[in-house]
Amino acid sequence: MSISEKTPLAQEPALVVDDVVKRFGRGTEIVTAVDHMSFSVKQGEFVSVIGPSGCGKSTLFNIIGGLLSDYEGAVKIGEERISAPHPAVGMVFQEESTFPWRTVIDNVAFPLELQGVPKSERMDRAHHFIDMVGLASFENAFPSQLSGGMKQRVSIARTLVSQPKILLMDEPFAALDEQTRLLLGDKITQIQQELNQTTLLITHNLTEAVQLSDRIVVMTYRPGQVKRIVDINLPRPRTSDVVGSDAFGHYVAEIWNDLREEASRGMADSESAASRRAAHG
Amino acid sequence: MAAAGSLTSSSIPATPRNVLALRLAVAVFILCVWEGLSRSGLFYGEVVPSLLAIVVSLGKLLIDPVFWRNLQVTMIETMASLAIGAGIGIAVGIVLGANRFLMRAFEPVVYYLSPTPRIILFPVMIMWFGVGPGSKIALGALSAFFAIALSTAAGMRQIDPILIRVGRSFRANVWQMAFKIYLPAMRVPILNGIRLGMGTAIITVLLGETKLSNQGLGYMIMQVYTRFDMPGLYALLILVFVIAGGVNALIGHFARD
Ligand SMILES: Nc1ncnc2c1ncn2[C@@H]1O[C@H](COP(=O)(O)OP(=O)(O)OP(=O)(O)O)[C@@H](O)[C@H]1O
Ligand SMILES: [Mg+2]
Repeated sequence: MSISEKTPLAQEPALVVDDVVKRFGRGTEIVTAVDHMSFSVKQGEFVSVIGPSGCGKSTLFNIIGGLLSDYEGAVKIGEERISAPHPAVGMVFQEESTFPWRTVIDNVAFPLELQGVPKSERMDRAHHFIDMVGLASFENAFPSQLSGGMKQRVSIARTLVSQPKILLMDEPFAALDEQTRLLLGDKITQIQQELNQTTLLITHNLTEAVQLSDRIVVMTYRPGQVKRIVDINLPRPRTSDVVGSDAFGHYVAEIWNDLREEASRGMADSESAASRRAAHG
Repeated sequence: MAAAGSLTSSSIPATPRNVLALRLAVAVFILCVWEGLSRSGLFYGEVVPSLLAIVVSLGKLLIDPVFWRNLQVTMIETMASLAIGAGIGIAVGIVLGANRFLMRAFEPVVYYLSPTPRIILFPVMIMWFGVGPGSKIALGALSAFFAIALSTAAGMRQIDPILIRVGRSFRANVWQMAFKIYLPAMRVPILNGIRLGMGTAIITVLLGETKLSNQGLGYMIMQVYTRFDMPGLYALLILVFVIAGGVNALIGHFARD
């Protein structure tokens, strides 16, 4: 609960990304999506990975989640190298991923159902996390009756209910407007502080990253490498109010400097690709 | 909107009441024409029996235990062929839909064979399964199989891949993936396949019964026909249509989202 007992630096990291490389394609068409990336996430820490669109964030997400087993280097939890979905990792996807044929509560109870948890316990636990993401009055609604932001909250509750040691999220709020994003950010901060949840958030949103993180890993654009790791020493507990503070602005400006370079390289890249396509007719 | 309206040369709104009224009007019109033809004496004998005669036959049929026994035989044959066709069809559809290589190899075969008349295989089925229900069930299952396998394979391919990744991330095993993700995600296309399969199964079973058998509605139709009992024949046909339509509507109800 309290953050004063935050884990000492000496403790084993919860997750280690060690010199990970992932290439797609073969021959002359090889794309290096992740290039020798290394960083780690400590117990109870909130780390964001930020980078421009197409820099390899989702690829890294899938490797850590065990959905892409064919990569070089090692993603480690304890002594174990990840090559398949690991029980300690819970994933929240960038895309909308609720099951349309299940109600909110049945969606959230899904992981418990897989584990064979008895029905009444399953419902109690699902109920608890639905409450936590603020959807208590929508338990019996179907996803088609919910807004995009509400569906993402269902996905988050569904992952939290399985009580993963490491929460792994890929741009969960990418499709949402700025206000909803800030408020959901509050919710995430609150949940993280309540559960002392180790979290790795993938994002391309700078405000979001600074608002939520203890540390930010800035990625370069193609090949996706670690450009810099920034410690965010903003006081906790935080709310979205922090967005207005000077220190916040300072961090945003600092990271934006790094990010702008990469983002403009990304833009130039896609523009030249577009003009090449245009030249081809 | 306006163009479509003028095409059908009508500006009557398609409210449920109007739709019902139109249906009733057409039905009454057809019945009147039928009765008119029947009374005109233009047709030989009882080819166009009067409505009254058909209604009387219908009533007689409904209290005739022979009808119910034959109906039961046909229903059991149809259900058995549907169960077998659906079981194999869904399994084959899943395999075809999941495996690009198998799909490339076999889906065209299934696709191009599916509209061929199965009834030409009836003699073979009789040799294999005898003149009893076995041969009708086999033939019905074969015809249901194609429709169900094809729509299952198509349903498999339209599943949102993200849902499969969610299942994998929660480490669902093969059975959990099949029963908690694939099948519910394919409910609508599978039920549509079953509906189509059901239709062809009924047709094929009835056809088989009219060719060679000693029980079932198809057999009964041929008997009534040989007796040249026209009102009885029409009454029987009406019942067959109502039953087939009713079952179809029932499955359609479940196939809706
Ligand atoms: N399965 C794949 N096959 C081939 N190339 C791929 C594949 N997946 C990703 N890539 C390539 O790898 C690069 C990184 O893609 P990735 O999806 O990881 O980017 P991202 O940082 O998540 O982008 P966004 O912010 O837009 O989601 C892209 O150039 C993409 O074209
Ligand atoms: Mg991505």
